[in-house]
Amino acid sequence: MLKKLSKWFNGGSKAEPSKLSSETRTEKAVETRQEKAARIAEDIRNREAKEAPSPQQTPPASMMPPREEMTPPQEEPRQPVRRTIIQAPIVAQKKEETPDDGTIRIKAEPSKEGDSCKFMVNRSLFPGHSWYFPSFESAGGSPLAERMFSLDEVENLLIHESTATVTRKTKGHADWKPMATEIGKVIREILEAGQGVVDKKIEEDMPPAESIREEIQKVIDEEVNPGVAGHGGRITLRQVEGNTVTIEMGGGCQGCSAADLTLKQGIHNAFRKSVPFVGAIYDETDHAAGQNPYFS
Amino acid sequence: MPRLLDFKLTIETGDRGTEGPVLFSINNHQVPLENLMGGTGPGETLEGGFSVNSFAHSLTLIGPEAGEWGIKSIKVDYNCENTEPYSVTFGEVTLNDRTEVNIWQDPPLPTFDV
Repeated sequence: MLKKLSKWFNGGSKAEPSKLSSETRTEKAVETRQEKAARIAEDIRNREAKEAPSPQQTPPASMMPPREEMTPPQEEPRQPVRRTIIQAPIVAQKKEETPDDGTIRIKAEPSKEGDSCKFMVNRSLFPGHSWYFPSFESAGGSPLAERMFSLDEVENLLIHESTATVTRKTKGHADWKPMATEIGKVIREILEAGQGVVDKKIEEDMPPAESIREEIQKVIDEEVNPGVAGHGGRITLRQVEGNTVTIEMGGGCQGCSAADLTLKQGIHNAFRKSVPFVGAIYDETDHAAGQNPYFS
Repeated sequence: MPRLLDFKLTIETGDRGTEGPVLFSINNHQVPLENLMGGTGPGETLEGGFSVNSFAHSLTLIGPEAGEWGIKSIKVDYNCENTEPYSVTFGEVTLNDRTEVNIWQDPPLPTFDV
């Protein structure tokens, strides 16, 4: 702008004197115009010099922060660091140990919910594997399961290594002692008679763990995870030992009140339908820990 | 969940020790351990405990404010109301200023012989 003005001013000064004399303009009038142009040019120069930023200069008002932001910074109270709770593996849990004197010992452990009871036997029932009997019809050829289902209250049976877990038809916290005593008697009789616990054919046809792992992973990827993803959930396969599967529920499934329902009615059914040789299915999720449990 | 009367910790440090107070957290309240014996240097064992007299909704061991603490094992002896005393040993874990480790385990379910 300054250049334009001085060009106009200089150009004008060269042409003007001859014209002015002929156009009856006074010398004073020409001087006034030159002075005015010089003053404007000076004003512009001063303004530009003022507006030019310098390190020590206070910024113009339009660039100043609002009044509340100009107050001296106050030291904010230090927020406690949010820590992640991690789970260390449990390596030992004190148990009462009884010497093996050849006697068959059976301990009954009713579940917290009271609808199932685990029978821990000091003998192996199905070494290295597990098997689930959902009904009387599934018990054919397995002497222990056949005898168990002859008891009225037995809904289903899960055998895993040296334990047998019985779920009864009556739900809730009814006393397990009378039924547990009967079940204990059945287990003892079968073992003393030397009868097999699980059908030999099941053991013979059992596929290797790696094959079960691959099939379960496929079900998780193609069927289970797309289903739970709608609720922000995620299922991870943790371990396959023999035909025993351990999973972990993550994302929105962790800590969700419906996690048990999802596990038993959704995941169990999907696994058993697609992989018939799968035995016990365990959930290793700590539903109260982690970064983002459902209830947090 | 039973009322936790008191508990005792026996912490075995691995190769990476730590300095400073050893804190635990009960229901999100950080508290130093009491009746300390031993240390938290490499290979050392620290013993300590606390009389809680409350319900433990969560019980954790807090990581150090600086550096890492390589723990070889943590044995916890629990003394709960109306329950036989029981103990649980947790395995290797490494803690830092962003982590704490769960040291609560529900009492074992009651059993009976059949």
